Amino acid sequence: MSDPVDLREFVSAFVTEAAEHLEVANSKLLLIESAARGGQPMLRHVRDVFRALHTIKGLAAMVGVESIVTISHRMEAILRTADQASTALSLDTIDALLEGTRAIEVRVKQLADGLPVGEPPASLVLRLDTLDAEPEAATRAITRATRLDPAIAQKLSAAEHEHLATASAAGQRAYRADFFPSPARAEQGFSINRVRERVSAIGELVKVLPLSVPATEHAPGGLAFVILVVTSALPAQLAAAVGIDADAVIALDAEVKPEVAAESDAVEDELIVNEPARRGIVRVDVSRLDEAMDRLSSLVVSRFRLSREAVRLAERGVDVRTLQTLLAEHSRQLRDLRAAILKVRMVPIAEVLDRVPMIVRSLRRSTGKSVRLEIDGGHTELDKAVAERLFPAIVHLVRNAVDHAIETPDERARRGKPEEGLVRVTCTEHSNARLVLSVSDDGRGIDRETVARRAEVEVPATDAELLDLLCRPGLSTRDEVSTVSGRGMGLDIIRRVAVEQLGGELAVSSVWRVGTTFTMTVPLTVSIVDAFTFECAGQRFVVPVAIVDEIVEVDEGVATRLAGSKGNVRVFFRRGESIPLLPLEEVLGLGVERVGARKAIVVRRAGEPIAFAVDRMLGQQEVVVRPLEDPLVQVPGITGATDLGDGQPTLVVDLVALGGVVRMVRGAAA
Amino acid sequence: MSTLYVVLEVADAAYILPASEVRELETFAGATPVPAAAAFVAGVVHIRGRVVPVVDLRRRFGLPAVERTLETRVVVTEVGDRLVGLVADRARELVRPAAEITPPPRVIAEQTLGFVKGIVELDKRIYLLLDLDRIIGEEQDHGERDLHLDDGGPRRRALPR
Amino acid sequence: MADVLVVDDSNVMRDMIVACLRSLPNLAFTHATTGLEAIERLSLKKFDLVVLDLNMPDVGGIEVVEFVRAQDQLRALPIVIVTTRGDESSRTRALDAGADRFMTKPFTPDAIVAEVQALLASGRPTT
Repeated sequence: MSDPVDLREFVSAFVTEAAEHLEVANSKLLLIESAARGGQPMLRHVRDVFRALHTIKGLAAMVGVESIVTISHRMEAILRTADQASTALSLDTIDALLEGTRAIEVRVKQLADGLPVGEPPASLVLRLDTLDAEPEAATRAITRATRLDPAIAQKLSAAEHEHLATASAAGQRAYRADFFPSPARAEQGFSINRVRERVSAIGELVKVLPLSVPATEHAPGGLAFVILVVTSALPAQLAAAVGIDADAVIALDAEVKPEVAAESDAVEDELIVNEPARRGIVRVDVSRLDEAMDRLSSLVVSRFRLSREAVRLAERGVDVRTLQTLLAEHSRQLRDLRAAILKVRMVPIAEVLDRVPMIVRSLRRSTGKSVRLEIDGGHTELDKAVAERLFPAIVHLVRNAVDHAIETPDERARRGKPEEGLVRVTCTEHSNARLVLSVSDDGRGIDRETVARRAEVEVPATDAELLDLLCRPGLSTRDEVSTVSGRGMGLDIIRRVAVEQLGGELAVSSVWRVGTTFTMTVPLTVSIVDAFTFECAGQRFVVPVAIVDEIVEVDEGVATRLAGSKGNVRVFFRRGESIPLLPLEEVLGLGVERVGARKAIVVRRAGEPIAFAVDRMLGQQEVVVRPLEDPLVQVPGITGATDLGDGQPTLVVDLVALGGVVRMVRGAAA
Repeated sequence: MSTLYVVLEVADAAYILPASEVRELETFAGATPVPAAAAFVAGVVHIRGRVVPVVDLRRRFGLPAVERTLETRVVVTEVGDRLVGLVADRARELVRPAAEITPPPRVIAEQTLGFVKGIVELDKRIYLLLDLDRIIGEEQDHGERDLHLDDGGPRRRALPR
Repeated sequence: MADVLVVDDSNVMRDMIVACLRSLPNLAFTHATTGLEAIERLSLKKFDLVVLDLNMPDVGGIEVVEFVRAQDQLRALPIVIVTTRGDESSRTRALDAGADRFMTKPFTPDAIVAEVQALLASGRPTT
């Protein structure tokens, strides 16, 4: 027997998966809520929410997070009752359930952050328990007007019968299509999971039932899956999705009206085009991608050495043209590889924006304002790290819009505006790999005079000046300004996120009494590294922690100076290994060498240690690295710059690369 | 309608750039020096979240350095995707020359190291049109082109971690 | 070598189950992410044991048990169902339908190993 398994190792996997299930639960609850306003029960969504919570509960139990088990157990009980009794959830119940998913979210986050997980909120538990005790009793008559075999019909729940029977009301039709699995079909891409996915893509899957059939060549497993679906797609499209002949698709309801046949091809094409996207999704920890990036970086360094050798050969009169062509190609391939790795880190913007309706929903309740949310997310993808930093800023802007900019229904009516306010979030991709995200409202706009008076300055003439004014920390935290001027707190923070953390911009345009738009323009990708900060020759630098082998104290008076070396290369011994020591200020051409006790940062280049003497270490922190894109400042060993909070760029040095080019830089600096 | 120009004063001369090539004017609080960059590159600064190189026009023109003052400005120019700052002693005016800008006489072109591509007079004052491409151009004197890790294509390196 | 089919729509749960059972020698694991896929796989290939979650979309664990027990060639297939607190009534139904054993989350690695070992050794024809 091997070592015992510790299930706590699965905590991070649990965190990831729980987040997915919570997202399903939240979005389905919102669907149920909007349907409930229109008096629809949406029972199939109820079941999805139930399943999501049930899975969370089971997993939480396995990894030992009792408070999540408690909350999800109570939520589940409510949903089970509603599902079994085929009753609609009341708005109050839905609200309590959403409060529950929030409470679970908080606890999952605590778990992810390594914090102690909080007890379930007593008020929430009480609320859920009371709801559970009084399920709504209004059971409705269920329609069962479909042509189905009784054997199949008896296996369907009330909700499923209703779903099939009411298809025509929604301009759709109910169909049955039978799928016979076999190894041969599986090879062609027709396994039940794939068929299920494809059918779900073109319609609402009501139920799939396994059915024993006599084993034949057609059905070697003696098995058929009966697929019941409600869709506006044509029988031929459904047949293509299942991989059967069109005449094998059976309509379950009376014909509504003939469909336009011409659309068929287009939709089928779309089906094929969409196909690869749904295939084989792999979930990867971001740190593994970072690791791949590390490996790539060392490849780039050895690539650099290669090209240097090629230059040497050329200097000796060797014909290196073929070699140069190969090197250029190699360079391109490295760049492509880097782009490919970066691409894996990208997430659709929709994933970020999907959470906005939740926020507006709760704002609607807390402010009592009537607000419509429009989201136009597009198909832009952005780096996960950017998405994570962007989201709080979006939340802030949306909250400000609903809280402060949108007027009360009365006020809007007086101004001749529709009572329902509008908040629109749009997102487009710009050239130059930048994302433009704007949050606009049709609220009261910003009153420049009032803002200026409060700040005791002149009325801002331009939108840029207005933004500067709004971003004054002193001004924006004063509540009376926020309510009078129509703009809330924290704009300075949003600007800092957009500008400092993401290397982007924030802009505003506002018309008094008409509305306001905030626009963030940020790069689609950003690199964040854990870095040491240190000082050398009076200048601050950072070096990525990942490339540092160790940091040691050295007394340069003690380290042996190498005879015959042009500069001040010394050598010292550490754990039986001799390590060359270079003063960094000299390598970088920053001026005179200091002698005495200093710190040395040891890195390894192709396994060999090399140490750089610096004045002092300042600390360690995560920094956002912005590349030095301009050719004027692209120099070896400097990979980018970061902002340590003083507004000035601090250079990021790649000591490994510097170790490789050290001799040449010296030559140039001399 | 004639074009609007931004006036950059360096030493005693007034240089101009089309306003369309100037993104903004910033006060200059010093730049972070970049080791091994060309000598005329004062360093890098943050402008709207981007890391932007700053060219010291005095050094570029081979003029003696002066202390920076409250009047010192970074003129942020935008050429294609590039943002590059130019440090000038002063920059606050805009002019709209009525006369046509003509190429400079050869002597002036040579004296200004090829950084001036036009000349115009307005209200008894001479304005020299800068050749931005040359000023921020890549022909550099630090002799390190071969140190770049890429050859040919966009020179961007993978970040080490 | 015994072939085990692990059926759960949660990736994490399947990974946990497999991690627990790895300590047993000579087991080969196949994953199924839905009840439908489980039925499909069982109809096309012979397995020696099924570890089955009850809570899955479309076709839940109970329906899988019902279907399996209705097939002559699968009547003797050992089935361990995995349940959670709150599943008591479903568990009863699944056991009535013919599941052999049940585990309730949270369970320890030892517990599931013991159940699976017992079932594989219980003399059901597994070859």
